[in-house]
Amino acid sequence: MDNRLLGLFIVFAPLSLLSFGGGQAIIADVQYQTVVVYGYLTNQEFADLFAVSRAAPGPSTLIAALIGYQVAGFWGALVSCFAIYLPSSLLVYGISSWWQRHRVSPLKTAVERGLAPVAIGLIFAGAYAVIRAAHVGPLELATIALCCALFYFTKVGSYTIVLGVAGLFLAIHALT
Amino acid sequence: MDLGTKEEAGKSAPPLSHVLWSFLKIGGSAFGGSTQALIFREAVDNRKWLTEQEFLTGQALSQVLPGANPVNIALYVGLRVRGGIGAIVAVFGMIIPAFMIIMAMGYAYRQMSGLPVTHFVLGGVAAAGIGATLSMGFKIARKLPRDLVTYLIGFAVFLAIGVLQLPMIPVVLFAVPLSIALAYFGARRTP
Repeated sequence: MDNRLLGLFIVFAPLSLLSFGGGQAIIADVQYQTVVVYGYLTNQEFADLFAVSRAAPGPSTLIAALIGYQVAGFWGALVSCFAIYLPSSLLVYGISSWWQRHRVSPLKTAVERGLAPVAIGLIFAGAYAVIRAAHVGPLELATIALCCALFYFTKVGSYTIVLGVAGLFLAIHALT
Repeated sequence: MDLGTKEEAGKSAPPLSHVLWSFLKIGGSAFGGSTQALIFREAVDNRKWLTEQEFLTGQALSQVLPGANPVNIALYVGLRVRGGIGAIVAVFGMIIPAFMIIMAMGYAYRQMSGLPVTHFVLGGVAAAGIGATLSMGFKIARKLPRDLVTYLIGFAVFLAIGVLQLPMIPVVLFAVPLSIALAYFGARRTP
């Protein structure tokens, strides 16, 4: 049990500093480490927990707490939660304090511009990792495309969409 | 109203209980991408803790730096209004409600994970989540500067981590300095 708590901390604490734009950016590595490297979860469990985290309120990085709970109960959740937020929060704290005292410089602009493409690559890698972990058939592919379009083009609330999809799949399951 | 220096802002520093309550409310009611809008309404419109410009700076910082955006913005707002202790209180307020809800959902998942219907429905929800992630990726990609280097870096990172499954930390430690250096010298060449 203690090894698992330590393992969870070792998985999530470094990823905290890479979670540019939030949880989406690190999903690919979370899947790789918890499923392939440590064997804490099966691909099915990972895909399920990803779905639960998307249905929950709050930041998507809370998937760390959910995985911690599944792997090592309440303490696993707490350790994972600290691991995923503490390093990044300390960094934000330090830089916010520093940023307030300094004005715009070319380096600051370059940092903002340079981080953006890396963050984008990480986001798409995360989507790809979940697609690979989940069993994606034609129905799921159609759902991905439809939801992507809804999120992109409309202002329909994300919770409405998630609940709608859950209801739709429940109905399909009941009817087939 | 004066153009608020820090000392003047400090004079009317709100009690920590207000900071905690504001962020508990937001943390318990924010779904998906609506969080930043809720923080803006609470911290700028209602409580007038920050000016719009100060909020925007915090938002940019939160996006550039790692960590969940809502948590980072909460930290920034807490830091501005009450210093270090304010930052801690704001972050805890932001995380605690969501943490408790997700624990309840994790418990429910454990009880129901044996049922086929659970996996089927969650498969649909995961698909919705993937759709949201992709749309976020497209939205941010649209705002990128349209040059080949930017797109190449984004694609290379996707390929390395998503497809080739290379370890993320070395890839990012290599890609970030390279990308920042290219942006820095690119901006100097074409001002």
